[in-house]
Amino acid sequence: MLWKRQIPILIVSLIGFATLLGWFFDQPTFKSFVDDDATQWFDILAAFAIFLGGLNLLKLQTQKVLMKQKGWQYSLFAIGGLLFAIVAGFFVKGNPEVAWGAHVTSKGTLFKWMFNYMVSPMQATMFALLAFYVASASYRAFRIRNFEATLLLSSGIIIMIGRVPLGSYISSWFILYLLVLVGGIVVNTIFKNKQYTAIAVLSGIILVTVAGSSMGWPVDKPAVFYLPYLQEWIYRYPNSAGSRSIMIGIGLGIFGTSIRYILGIERSYIGE
Amino acid sequence: MNYLVELILKLAKVDRRWIFLIIGFVVIIPLIYPLALPIRPGKDSKEVYDFVEGLPDSSKVLLSCEYGPSTKPEIHPMVTSLLHHLFSLDRGHKVFVVCLWPDGQFMAEEALEEVAKKRFGLTYGEDYVMLGFRPGNEAVVKGIVSDLRKLYTIDARGTKIEDIPMMEGINRFEDFDFLFSGSAGYPGTTEWVQFAADPTSVPMSTGTTSIQVNEMMPYVLGGQIKGILAGMPGAAEYEELIGVKGIGTSGMDAQSVAHFVIVLFIFLGNLGYFIERKRSKKHQGS
Repeated sequence: MLWKRQIPILIVSLIGFATLLGWFFDQPTFKSFVDDDATQWFDILAAFAIFLGGLNLLKLQTQKVLMKQKGWQYSLFAIGGLLFAIVAGFFVKGNPEVAWGAHVTSKGTLFKWMFNYMVSPMQATMFALLAFYVASASYRAFRIRNFEATLLLSSGIIIMIGRVPLGSYISSWFILYLLVLVGGIVVNTIFKNKQYTAIAVLSGIILVTVAGSSMGWPVDKPAVFYLPYLQEWIYRYPNSAGSRSIMIGIGLGIFGTSIRYILGIERSYIGE
Repeated sequence: MNYLVELILKLAKVDRRWIFLIIGFVVIIPLIYPLALPIRPGKDSKEVYDFVEGLPDSSKVLLSCEYGPSTKPEIHPMVTSLLHHLFSLDRGHKVFVVCLWPDGQFMAEEALEEVAKKRFGLTYGEDYVMLGFRPGNEAVVKGIVSDLRKLYTIDARGTKIEDIPMMEGINRFEDFDFLFSGSAGYPGTTEWVQFAADPTSVPMSTGTTSIQVNEMMPYVLGGQIKGILAGMPGAAEYEELIGVKGIGTSGMDAQSVAHFVIVLFIFLGNLGYFIERKRSKKHQGS
């Protein structure tokens, strides 16, 4: 129990404290530990973790095949892929002129062939499918059900149109006319009176037309209604405010979790 | 009128395979027949461009590639454009490439081959060097900050660091004048800001996927990142700024049309939703 529980907790606490202190004290030993030794240790451990990951993958997938679990046929491809990568990486270069190590990204090698003709197209295909799912999902899920959904939908559309070159063709006057129509819907919903709605819409149209004629209908003015500017404003201000608050929240969460690890309260890494 | 309402309802319930087909069509056609839509460089792309323009002669630029084939259409044009910009200035800038993702090394090799070797005929080891990938995520960033030579004893071609002429005087992150991170996720731009650029005050810019821009904007507005190339539009804007049109520009035609079609779908879906909601209210009332 001592080796499985107390010792690992002690190691984590000591290393955690030492790393934390390194940020606060200008003491050369601590600083050197944090800046050099700890990161070197991590690099070595990370390199070993890749081997462990490979072995774990091989073990799990082989078990799946041997026990003929659901979808075991796919596991054959996973095992085959891993073995092929090992062969291409460690045993068969495919190009005798290239040195070991450099063969991974050099032309004419088996590993490079594997990346170009297997990994690359598969990854690209998976990611390309997203466009289709996004289109289908937004068609079904983006509904004006309440105020929050309307806000999300409007900002989403402004970003989608404002970010692309076609969006710069849409005049801010067109957006103003659209807003007049939306205003008409609002008036109708509040007063439920056709005359009021007609007056609101007509006066809006006249106002926009007069303003547009006097200004010479510039595409990007008034700038507040020009989609490319509007999307930039959304990105820079409301979006950044939200992102910042999320980041601060995550930071506090990391701080809390780290303290739990250092004090030995959080012990999930030893299976508790 | 009834016919129109029924048509809208039909369209609002269209099988998703039709949507897939239409999206496929509107993406492929502009790629085959480009529309040559005008690109308007934004504030953030201009900031990156201006910063690169203002680099002093013989600057040492660290380029970090953290993307793979899945995000290549967005990030790769940024990396090739940046390399083109740096080398076309002809001010003796040196480019050092590191990769936090294993796939990034393949992408970086491709970009260097295309720009440094083919377009400018530059010499490896004197004008550019590929240090390659090291596992360890943010620990690699920290390692580069404290002592690069402990982490990289050889480059990606197996040459000893001491034998590479342009590595002279390069020992740690602070020896670089500028960092550009072509990032598609973790580890990437965030780690470079937190562990390298911010503690050392070495200026950095980034190029990220569109989806990451939200996360990066606070760093850009705070001045920790000097401009950002935001997704494929950012790549196209940078291509426009340097005057070399590539895959970023042609990709924007496809993205433009696809975005409009998706908005059209959303509009139709909502129209159908409102008609149905009105009908069900009427049924409930009667």
